[in-house]
Amino acid sequence: MIREYLSLAIRGILHRRKRSWLTIIGILIGITAVVALISLGQSMQLAVNRQFEEFGYNVITIMPGTLRGFHPSLTATLELDAAELEAIEGVESAGMMFYKSSYIQTEKLEGFLPVMGLSPEMVKIMLLQPASGRLFRPDEPDGALLGPAVAQDLELEVGDTFKIEDRPFKVVGVLKKGGNPRNDEGIFVPLQALWEVTGEEGKISIAMVRVEQGYDVDEVADRIKRVLLARRGKEDFTVQTVEQLRKVVNQAIGILGAFLGGIAGISLLVGGIGVMNTMYTAVLERTREIGVMKAVGAKDRQIMWLFLIESGLMGLAGGAIGTLLGVGLNVAAVMAAKRFIEARVLELGISPWLVLGALAFSFVVGALSGLFPARSAAKLPPVEALRYE
Amino acid sequence: MGDKPLIELREVWKVYRMGKVEVPALRGVDLALGAGEFLAVMGPSGSGKSTLMHLMGCLDLPTRGQVLFEGADTSRMRGTQLAEIRAHKVGFVFQTFNLIHTLTALENVELPMIFRGVARRARRARAEELLRQVGLGERMGHRPHELSGGEQQRVAIARALANDPKIILCDEPTGNLDSEAGAKIMELLRRLNEEGRTVVLVTHNPDMASYAKRRVHLRDGRLVEVKAETEAPV
Repeated sequence: MIREYLSLAIRGILHRRKRSWLTIIGILIGITAVVALISLGQSMQLAVNRQFEEFGYNVITIMPGTLRGFHPSLTATLELDAAELEAIEGVESAGMMFYKSSYIQTEKLEGFLPVMGLSPEMVKIMLLQPASGRLFRPDEPDGALLGPAVAQDLELEVGDTFKIEDRPFKVVGVLKKGGNPRNDEGIFVPLQALWEVTGEEGKISIAMVRVEQGYDVDEVADRIKRVLLARRGKEDFTVQTVEQLRKVVNQAIGILGAFLGGIAGISLLVGGIGVMNTMYTAVLERTREIGVMKAVGAKDRQIMWLFLIESGLMGLAGGAIGTLLGVGLNVAAVMAAKRFIEARVLELGISPWLVLGALAFSFVVGALSGLFPARSAAKLPPVEALRYE
Repeated sequence: MGDKPLIELREVWKVYRMGKVEVPALRGVDLALGAGEFLAVMGPSGSGKSTLMHLMGCLDLPTRGQVLFEGADTSRMRGTQLAEIRAHKVGFVFQTFNLIHTLTALENVELPMIFRGVARRARRARAEELLRQVGLGERMGHRPHELSGGEQQRVAIARALANDPKIILCDEPTGNLDSEAGAKIMELLRRLNEEGRTVVLVTHNPDMASYAKRRVHLRDGRLVEVKAETEAPV
């Protein structure tokens, strides 16, 4: 009988076409906002996860201080020895980075810029990729790699030379665009060279450890923590796995997405009230019709279903169009981000669950909004309904 | 009248409340209607004719007294059971036709069968057959506003017959029709009665009432039986 009910409900909707559209638009706006915001959050999550994946989940970071974060601090440093880390069971290799604001001179410009000193292992772990030139060799103490943004700002190309703290360096490569935004602005030199020019030998800002295959990343992280704690005597450092980091970031994005989705949900509520209003009017208009249906044998329950399906259908119509628009907005945002930001901050991935969920939710909002009107329709005394003018 | 009456009213009162005033429409009506009868309920407007018809068709319940449908007391029934009786045993025809204007003639006739759960094909076939019977075989796809009053009322009669009811209750079925269309409707009702269906006709018009085999008058909320031989020609 569903088919008959659907057909009757659709007649009802089409009969008051203009008002039905307005009601549907109310739902549509709410669903569009909800879908667009939630899928935007998902796109962010996807992009972040993909970057983490490229990085590899078998990486452990060690940073000075006890504040968890992703980026090394410009000021806090730690004295660590790569060989000591590599001696720990399960550690395949340890990369070190020292991060220091240094005095830079080119032919035309001079000033302070952050410089990152990388140990040879760190170059591998960071997965740096040159767009032109190459990465520096271990036997190249004066080689420098530039992020694309900084290369442009300093007007330097592969083969040019510039000075860091009065010592000349040669640009051996310029990195690809669109990676980590921090890398785009980075000046990279061998760790030993940066230690020498700054006179801060042995200091590091962050260490990254790659875990040997077959070892549990969390166990190795624990082991590193114990070794460092034993040697340093106090916990003035943070050991973090990429997986932990990913969870923290994902959680933050998830909360943000849910929060925005919730705000958008308010507009959906308003849409639902619109449906309720329309359905009450429809019940009033069709009072006589309801009386006729009862006279020919319709049960209260059947009348109720008829109206519920009608309001649910309006919700569903709004939901379908709204989902399309919301997904469209997301696609547009992802495309805009790729075009204008050049960093992978958004990644397109339409979740079928979001689409199905939005459709089901809009139907439920419609049906729930129709619940009270439908009940009042079902409860109409038939004789009074028939007399209604 | 044979054994058990189809519908029996015992000391039936119906009182409407209008604000603080109670207005009795029926004041103790007794009536027994046997299967196969053709009954006309006559009386001026406001005499409670329609109320009586609604009670007989299980569309409403009495304030006091009993309405027995096939021996069962309707006042002890729940709404669903009353709806069940209306769906299976009663067909209504109204003065204002009461067709659903968004549906075609065919769909209007199908409507009672939808609520009864009759399968699509059987439903359509029966609706078509009924419309042919009332002479509207060519106008099935028309909506009510595309039909004349007489045609609309014939659709309504086809609809009343959809569930093959034992009794057809008609409330001034010719009230909105000219005399020619009205006569056609009455002929149709007479034919239905001759085919064995019980017909109740509520009307203030003695011409229409003369089609019935039995006539009762409703005056001041009470029924008065009209003896055929004592009635003076109008």
